[in-house]
Amino acid sequence: MSSPPEKLIALGKKADANAAEAKAAVTKAAAAKHAPAPSFPLARVAPGDRWFDYCLEPYRPRRPPAGKLRAENLLWYSLELAGLLDAARPPLEALQRSLGRDMTVFGVKTDGQRLFWELYLYDPRKEDPRATVAGLRETLAPWLELRPPVRESTPYMMVSFDLDADILARGRVDELNLYLTGTEDHAGRSYVVREDGLELANTYRFLSPKRDIDTVLSLLTSSAFVDYDAAPTTLAEVLIPELFACKKVCVAKKRTHDGVYFSGVDVDQLLWLLRRFPYPPALVAFAERCAPELDHLYFDVGLDLQQGPDGRVAYPKTGFYGTL
Amino acid sequence: MQSYKGRFEPTRFADLTVTVDFHCHSACRFCIVQEGMNLYRGVPFERFQQAVDDNRHKPRYRRITFTGGEITLEKKLFEYVAYARERGGFEHIRLQTNGRLLADRAYAERLVEAGVDEFFVSLHGPNPEVQDFISQREGSFDEAWAGLENLHALGVTVLTNTVLITHNVPHLKALVEKVRAVRPTRMEFWNYLPMEDFEDERGLIAPMAELAPALREALAHAEASGIPCAVKYVPRCLLGEHGHCVDNTQPDVVIVEEFYDVYPKFACLWEAKCEHAETCLGLHHPYVHKHGWERELLTPTPRTTPWREPEDGLALGTDDPTRPGDGFEGAPPPPTHHPAWLRLVEGVAEEHGARLATILLDRRRCTYRFEAEGARVDLLLTKRDDGRPALLRTRSFNVAYRHLELGEGGAGKATLAAVIEAAARTLRERDRGDLLLDERKGLVGPEATRRRRRS
Repeated sequence: MSSPPEKLIALGKKADANAAEAKAAVTKAAAAKHAPAPSFPLARVAPGDRWFDYCLEPYRPRRPPAGKLRAENLLWYSLELAGLLDAARPPLEALQRSLGRDMTVFGVKTDGQRLFWELYLYDPRKEDPRATVAGLRETLAPWLELRPPVRESTPYMMVSFDLDADILARGRVDELNLYLTGTEDHAGRSYVVREDGLELANTYRFLSPKRDIDTVLSLLTSSAFVDYDAAPTTLAEVLIPELFACKKVCVAKKRTHDGVYFSGVDVDQLLWLLRRFPYPPALVAFAERCAPELDHLYFDVGLDLQQGPDGRVAYPKTGFYGTL
Repeated sequence: MQSYKGRFEPTRFADLTVTVDFHCHSACRFCIVQEGMNLYRGVPFERFQQAVDDNRHKPRYRRITFTGGEITLEKKLFEYVAYARERGGFEHIRLQTNGRLLADRAYAERLVEAGVDEFFVSLHGPNPEVQDFISQREGSFDEAWAGLENLHALGVTVLTNTVLITHNVPHLKALVEKVRAVRPTRMEFWNYLPMEDFEDERGLIAPMAELAPALREALAHAEASGIPCAVKYVPRCLLGEHGHCVDNTQPDVVIVEEFYDVYPKFACLWEAKCEHAETCLGLHHPYVHKHGWERELLTPTPRTTPWREPEDGLALGTDDPTRPGDGFEGAPPPPTHHPAWLRLVEGVAEEHGARLATILLDRRRCTYRFEAEGARVDLLLTKRDDGRPALLRTRSFNVAYRHLELGEGGAGKATLAAVIEAAARTLRERDRGDLLLDERKGLVGPEATRRRRRS
């Protein structure tokens, strides 16, 4: 055994690979000081606003919400950063008017290269014809043509579609996602629908992170894409401790990777996600500035997962969610 | 319900710690306030006086501890001690120190004569080779050891504190063996908490697979030597038969508020399954990133009671009057032994055929737990804040109820509803505004932060 000082010096010099990521985050935060101010007036909580997670399940605000900011400001700002606010705002506001405030879920996502968005509409009991694909088609018609045909008798409880610069430029949505779920188990499947057909996209299941931990671990580690034996820290790269303190975990199995979603995280956890993953510094700075006025909200965040070439977990896509 | 395992409220109501200043003549590798040494100011003397005067008028602390930085470098230390001794009504005055200046016997005697009766001395290795390497000051071990011998000779209460890091884990048993000679009242082992170096570039976070067996061995040696121990920030399940040594509480600290912004959060995969979830913190986040969740190493003790998500954070710091060693002789007092707080609701439960089972008290909240017919409910007092929802407000408090659990077939609902209503009414009548709860953790605002130099 080496003498303590030698061993200790060696230990002292050992740097964790995470350090580089942390430094990058600090650099990002510093660079973001000069984030442009939003061109739009910030949307504030109004009487009658409701509070839903990304499954449209209600929650009680964490703090008194009166006068504070709505989550949609993050959506608008992300679109503005991408130069898409003018193109995207009219159809999205049309959706909001049609379905009502807080009845549309938005996702802001990044693959490290660009931002893109997804809109989700729920109608599990087929109560609102405006939340069907047919209703959506009609609402968005002035701006976007929804090409995929959907048989309305399909028992879907949610429909979603992506939004990005190409889709907005073409004025055409070529893919829709339908989500089907049983009534007994909080689990489901999603199908991607195109003009030429429909195929299974992923399966997913919602669980309590603490009470259902055995099932969470079983589902996660039963993976074709992540080798949980690769390193002692692999599980921590998926069940990230900063996000594990949440209300619900969703484990998804997708065609080319796995996914894990943390539902019911607070604004500090959202900021952690934005700093940790490659979101535009200006978006991070905007969220930081708004954070004191977003502390009444819960957010939902998600990570796509696969094994990176270095053996560590890679995140081909991450996203966060709120209601519009 | 949102999970707040990540947070905990560590403060004990019985102890007050005052961070006098942040200067130090050692440079311990694990120092959690290395940046703070230059950034934070100590507590202004006037603020300290205010805390002491508060305690004289509304007694709640039985002990005051002075710390730094290195407290013995503080020129006004004797003024602090004198003020606390003469004005504060404290039972004990303690210094948290690296002990180096106590090698001067005359200085140690002066401190004792001034009224300091407890010394909490940091010792991170059993010999100069380990300790001096960690403190980065040659001779620091010899000085601290001479200081400990002086204190032992003076007959005062001595406690030791060892921060567990990769460097000293192999030497813990030897440390106990060394310290036996000065007969400490208690040895404390605090696992390192990163508060700046979250990525552990300094290589200080010891893997539990190495730390736990070494610590168990040290605890066994201490126990065999008749030395009580306290362990912080190590999962209880890793301590085996020494699990009772886990004590994650901390005194109330008068310190700059933002100190707590970087306080690590904790988590454990097995929280909902473990009997000790309410007192054990699990692993801190930087540890999980560095060494993983320790899925195999941590073994939950099966629960005997239902697990409930700790909505407001773990009440680790609850001032439990039944806790041994907190100054009560003979039979322990009942769990409602907080006379001033009991008075606010005294008699209410009995009037309605219920009982007040316990009062949980820390600086931020007072919880009354009522039970009836197999049902229970908590009535919660927090500092009055008109901007927050509350069942009602008294002169000083917001009042809310939570954790209503009914008995079989819904039993106890009507009784507890009546108790809540009556207790709320009684609180409003009896709260004269002379009891305090405080939302803040650190008690000292931005005035205690030095302006950063432009680089």
